Amino acid sequence: MSEQNPLKNLLTNKMQRRTFLKWSGAIGLPVVAGGIGTKMLVERKQDEKPASAKETEQIVSTCSITNCGGRCVIKAHVKDGKVVRVSTDTQKGGDLSTPPLRACVRGQNYRKMLYDPERLKYPMKRVGKRGEGKFERITWGEAIDTIASEIKRIGDTYGPESRYVNYATGQSSGLHGGRNSARKLLSLTGGYLEYRGDYSVGAGSVATPYTYGTNLTGSSFDSLLHSKYIILWGQNPSEMIFSTPYREYLVQAKNNGAKIVVIDPRYSDTAVAFADEWIPILPTTDNALMDAMGYVIVTEQLHDQAFLDKYCIGFDEDHMPEGVSKNESLKSYLLGMQDGIPRTPEWAEKICRVPANKIRQLAREYATSKPGALIQGWAAQRQAYGEQFMRGGAQLACLTGNVGKLGTWAAGTGSWSRSNMIRPFTYENPVKTSIPCFLWTMAVEKGTEMTAADGLQGAEKLNSNIKMIVNLAGNMLINQHADINKTSKLLEDESKVEFILASDIFMTPSAKFADILLPGTTFFERHDIGFPWGGGDYVILGNKAIEPLYECRDEYDVFADVAEKLGLKEQFTEGKTTLDIVKESIKRTKQEIDPKFPDYEEFKKKGVYHFKYDEPLVGFKEQIDDPANHPFQTPSGKIELFSKALWDMNQHDEIPAIAKYIPSWEGPEDPLIGQYPLQLTSWHYKRRCHSTYDNQEWLEEAGKQEMWMNPKDAEKRGIQNGDRVQVFNDRGLLVIDVKVTPRITPGVCAIPQGGWYTPDKTGIDQRGAVNVLTSQRPTPLAKANPQLTNLVEVKKA
Amino acid sequence: MTTTGEVFDFDLMPFLQSRRNVYQLIYLLFMEPKADQFLYDLGKGINFKELEEFQKEIGKTLEQFFNQISDEQILKQKEEFHRLFIGPGQLAAPPWESYYRSKDHLLFEECMFQIRDLYYQFGLQNIKENKEPDDHLLLELEFMIFLSEQSLQQIDLEELKRFISTQIEFLQNHLLTWIPPFCERIFENTTSSLYLGAAMLLEDFCWCDLEALIDAREAL
Repeated sequence: MSEQNPLKNLLTNKMQRRTFLKWSGAIGLPVVAGGIGTKMLVERKQDEKPASAKETEQIVSTCSITNCGGRCVIKAHVKDGKVVRVSTDTQKGGDLSTPPLRACVRGQNYRKMLYDPERLKYPMKRVGKRGEGKFERITWGEAIDTIASEIKRIGDTYGPESRYVNYATGQSSGLHGGRNSARKLLSLTGGYLEYRGDYSVGAGSVATPYTYGTNLTGSSFDSLLHSKYIILWGQNPSEMIFSTPYREYLVQAKNNGAKIVVIDPRYSDTAVAFADEWIPILPTTDNALMDAMGYVIVTEQLHDQAFLDKYCIGFDEDHMPEGVSKNESLKSYLLGMQDGIPRTPEWAEKICRVPANKIRQLAREYATSKPGALIQGWAAQRQAYGEQFMRGGAQLACLTGNVGKLGTWAAGTGSWSRSNMIRPFTYENPVKTSIPCFLWTMAVEKGTEMTAADGLQGAEKLNSNIKMIVNLAGNMLINQHADINKTSKLLEDESKVEFILASDIFMTPSAKFADILLPGTTFFERHDIGFPWGGGDYVILGNKAIEPLYECRDEYDVFADVAEKLGLKEQFTEGKTTLDIVKESIKRTKQEIDPKFPDYEEFKKKGVYHFKYDEPLVGFKEQIDDPANHPFQTPSGKIELFSKALWDMNQHDEIPAIAKYIPSWEGPEDPLIGQYPLQLTSWHYKRRCHSTYDNQEWLEEAGKQEMWMNPKDAEKRGIQNGDRVQVFNDRGLLVIDVKVTPRITPGVCAIPQGGWYTPDKTGIDQRGAVNVLTSQRPTPLAKANPQLTNLVEVKKA
Repeated sequence: MTTTGEVFDFDLMPFLQSRRNVYQLIYLLFMEPKADQFLYDLGKGINFKELEEFQKEIGKTLEQFFNQISDEQILKQKEEFHRLFIGPGQLAAPPWESYYRSKDHLLFEECMFQIRDLYYQFGLQNIKENKEPDDHLLLELEFMIFLSEQSLQQIDLEELKRFISTQIEFLQNHLLTWIPPFCERIFENTTSSLYLGAAMLLEDFCWCDLEALIDAREAL
């Protein structure tokens, strides 16, 4: 305003005294040269819509690809570039060929996750000690430079085997994702140390093929509509979902008259919703119950001798592989012919606490209510001898002939698949060496000492320990791996792993250990396709609903930039964007797999495609109907109740050739129980998907983080419902609120897995991160995670 | 507003200029600290005695920081800045209006879209629209700076009144709805004299400016 301005003197003699006095100081403040610098508010572009004329709401169908047992339809209602609300599949129920794919409580929280103020927003570099959580914002340019140079430096210094892409499942389905992008980039620059298996069914997926030759032992869910008897053994689809439409089929099976039995140490939500009968059991003793059921079935002549004779090896002395004593048969074991211990219900009761008569009833019902489906969850194989659990279930299915016929279920891993899409994003790792995923900490500490006995494959030995870890959308670096205290200490030592790259959408306990931390995208912000997990005849298009917020980026684009820095951009992208990959997958699937598959535009509109079949998929139907032309994929071509391959490993105590009960370390028969008298198990909680969403407050209302304890155990310790307690063993100590409930077996406590490790100043976890207490000792055969095998003591905090 | 009491000679121009200057100063105090000459120069330019006249404690607190300014101090403030406003992880004082005004403490909520509309009405747009929220402290302050500068340019009384009214409403409907709880979080979570002083100045000045603007509108 100039001296000539006519308005100049308008205020003279009109302002109030107190205003004036207050202002006299402020008036003297200087004009800052240069003002505020670069402006964030700029002149609005003219070609855009007029002010205030709001866009109409668009509904974009999309899909989350976390490691959830479900894969549901999420409809993002988008207005002015913002997701204003989410809804889910509105498809009506009833037609089981197009089951509704509705979101659970976790899905209803997605908008809150998207706009959470704590999203990671910018690339960061560590400035404090590793794990301390101190970071500084950097530019994407600096982040890319650092990543490229570290990938190269570590590869040049230690060789490609020193580079590792950690198991991570924040993006577990989908076509591109972090892990695949990192693997492709590393493949193009010499390769990386590969891992095998997973933390979900690590023991089971190695064990099951020794019996059946494959993990595809399941049947499509519609086959359950024909079952008369269904056992859900340690499976909890009400909370962890286990394929979105699955529960719909269980309801229908029940309506059709099937009896459903749930075996679980907890009276789980699944038991509440579906069970005609709940059978509580002590963790790690499932095989004692299985053995006794086998004993009852065989001694009461309820077994299917014809089936066993025709399809199986190892049931009785007449069907043993060459070179093995006939006394080693399954029957001989069950009847105690070799060691004088018949596996009677009374024998088992003492171990697993299921009353002998209940065992008899269960065995008789399962053997006579045909067709029967013994469906195994994977919880009970995340234990010290988890391999036995999976083969033991399969053993019972074979004893009763419940394999290959409509309405049966062959037990074992239980995967099934008949609907697929082309996945065009591929890479080939020049390094052929691999380790079991659970042993990555061993490979950090003493990788060069690992041998075949530690599950090392593809090489006699490793040339280097792991020196670089790429941990993308994963919390396995700290939170979800066993023994958090041990792992933290290992990673804090910067001379061991020299570079840790992480990306995530939140500051997880694992992300804290990154050297470079990148802000990833949520599914709302990227293009992808969601595949159902654990079976399901459908796929969901993961449409991008909005542009990535802040400086968040897809890992694909990040690694494309890293590739460019290393002169490999063209090889990495092959000229494609993530959307191009999605479109190519759709186009080729239509051409090569299913001509009815919609084109991109149509798929985009509908959001979901249901593959349709005339009849249910029955696991091993071909092998049973026509064994001559369809042998099992085992060495003998038959079902191997007795596995010669396992026998030849010559570690019969821990790796027996037939499934049997092995008393577990840190099980009820371990003398350590004198010191730590409670078994501690964990479960997949409805408020989380593993550890994903643990920071989401609204979900805490759906399920508080608390430990279940039986009133008898609580009373002994003077613990009341709601008390804060310390839970501890030799590996660590955590603090958590307790829920005293008869819904859990006496002698057993359970903490929902996935709470974020939150140490206080003295290093004691305050959130109930169960892996503070779990062990890194692997299972004997698969070298898999035994995280549900723990002994602890509990006392009031 | 009552019209009792003494009236003083209060020039419109210095009034509008100094408002702009104070908003600019606050803006600069809330920018990410850099280890260059900038903060040194800024400190030299502030007359802390005058600031003390405005509000004693603010002047003292800021003076305390600027008197002891060093590269090391600036780096410390940068760390503090990250902890309070940037992350990663839990923020001690989230600097967005939406956070304080939405039920679930989310960003990009309805109030942000009201602000966006307001920016549009003045031909403005967040350069990072739909990437960074439009209701970040610095954007809201920049909008106030813009409006006070525009006020300085006006030669038409009604237009000037319109600009003053917009600023009154923006303070009432936006800045002052969340600045108090935002500053409260800073007070509770930091011992940095830079951010304590900046927060005191921010909160106090917004209230003071509101009062003055209402007063001015009546007087015009």
